[in-house]
Amino acid sequence: METLAEIILKAASLPVIVTGTYALFKFRNLGSELKVFSCFIIFSLIIEVSSKIMWFMRLNNLPLLHIYVLIGFIFQIWFYAKVLERFISKKVIWTIGVLFTCFTIANSIFFESIYTFNSNALTVQSILVIILSLSTYMLFLNDIVKSETDMSLVESLNWINSGLFIYYSSSLLVFYVSDLLIENYSLVLNQYTWTIHTIFLIVMYVCFFIGLWKRPRKLIS
Amino acid sequence: METTQEIDFLNILLPLLGVIFIIAISVFLLNQHFQKNLYQQKLEREELRNKHQKQLLQSNIEAQESERKRIAKDLHDELGATLSIARMHLMRLEQMHPSLESKGLSLSNVRSIIDSSIASVRQISHHLMPNQLEAFGLIRSLESMIDQINESKQIKIELNVPPSPTKFSWEKELSLYRIFMELIQNTLKHSKATKVEINYREDWENVYIEFKDNGVGLPNEMIHGLGLKNMEARIKAIGGSIEFIEGDGFTAQLKAPIENSNG
Repeated sequence: METLAEIILKAASLPVIVTGTYALFKFRNLGSELKVFSCFIIFSLIIEVSSKIMWFMRLNNLPLLHIYVLIGFIFQIWFYAKVLERFISKKVIWTIGVLFTCFTIANSIFFESIYTFNSNALTVQSILVIILSLSTYMLFLNDIVKSETDMSLVESLNWINSGLFIYYSSSLLVFYVSDLLIENYSLVLNQYTWTIHTIFLIVMYVCFFIGLWKRPRKLIS
Repeated sequence: METTQEIDFLNILLPLLGVIFIIAISVFLLNQHFQKNLYQQKLEREELRNKHQKQLLQSNIEAQESERKRIAKDLHDELGATLSIARMHLMRLEQMHPSLESKGLSLSNVRSIIDSSIASVRQISHHLMPNQLEAFGLIRSLESMIDQINESKQIKIELNVPPSPTKFSWEKELSLYRIFMELIQNTLKHSKATKVEINYREDWENVYIEFKDNGVGLPNEMIHGLGLKNMEARIKAIGGSIEFIEGDGFTAQLKAPIENSNG
């Protein structure tokens, strides 16, 4: 009989598939910010399906993770560039994107092979996404921004932003402690940690789904 | 004794604290950047709104002035001319039929009524659009107006102007002229003043005008009245400011840029 941890780990794909399919269907009705973010969700769906196929074929699917981290972050930073475009110079955002791309490629070539888990890149990605999501929260608290932005769009973006923040802050801790747990404790404890990580992944996709669901129904832009 | 199971918490926590510190600093800096941009956007919007309001005010005043000009012209050219023709016919009638006077028809009375009507039309027309202002400029027009008022001996107006004051654009001169008219009219109507002092000085950037009377000051209803608001609107439209000071008498201090800042 399967344990709860195993069920959770197996169920992780479901919210990705549901949210990805929903994003695919609603893509045409979305505003520019949500369209960019939907690209990220659809890309995640493609990676998820590909990794499952490779897993069934008993192939190492970790190279997909390296691609996912790099391309995924570019979509994420593009999304934040859209959300924050009136408040931050595009150069700042794209400089972060270019630097991260260089770092990820260098990391995959010299430090963490594409057949291993790329914790360095994931850690840096988590830090950057946390910074951007916290800054976006603070920005949306500003009265001027509140008064000038469509509230249904803010609500939708807040759900997505919350999903990213919840998942990447938990991931940061997981990536940070997973090696330590393997070295000092047991594999079982490490598995529990990854189960918790999967729960946060599910929470993230639920937040994304709600964010897309609460999208502005009347397009402004 | 240290075992492999023991974890050096300092070694684990320090990098984590470092990461949290980096996140906190970055969020703080980004937030500062947002605030700066927001403040800048707010300033730009305010500036745009002020510019728009100023343009509205200006076009309002321009429309008002052009309407005044049209009425003044119509009064002078049409009514004035009609009255002059009537006067001419009357004079011819007087010359051709001197007996009419003796029959009790007082043509000279009618003529004097027409004369006074012509004078009134001229005065109203001049009041609506002072031709003098266009021909001789603000200071000469003011001097002429002040001379006329001083002739009445009820009040003494003193105008102190530097030897060669700057000549402004027509719009600016007209605005200042209208403000002076309003100020003088208020003093004559409400202040019971016997003396008015107008001090005019300028530097490289601005002209400063002080209007001071020794009257009882303005009545309460005047302080929030249309006259003062009109003056404020006019001076604002030319990029200047006006301040009303109540003390011994009534004082108004005007400041207007010499350069055309209407943009």
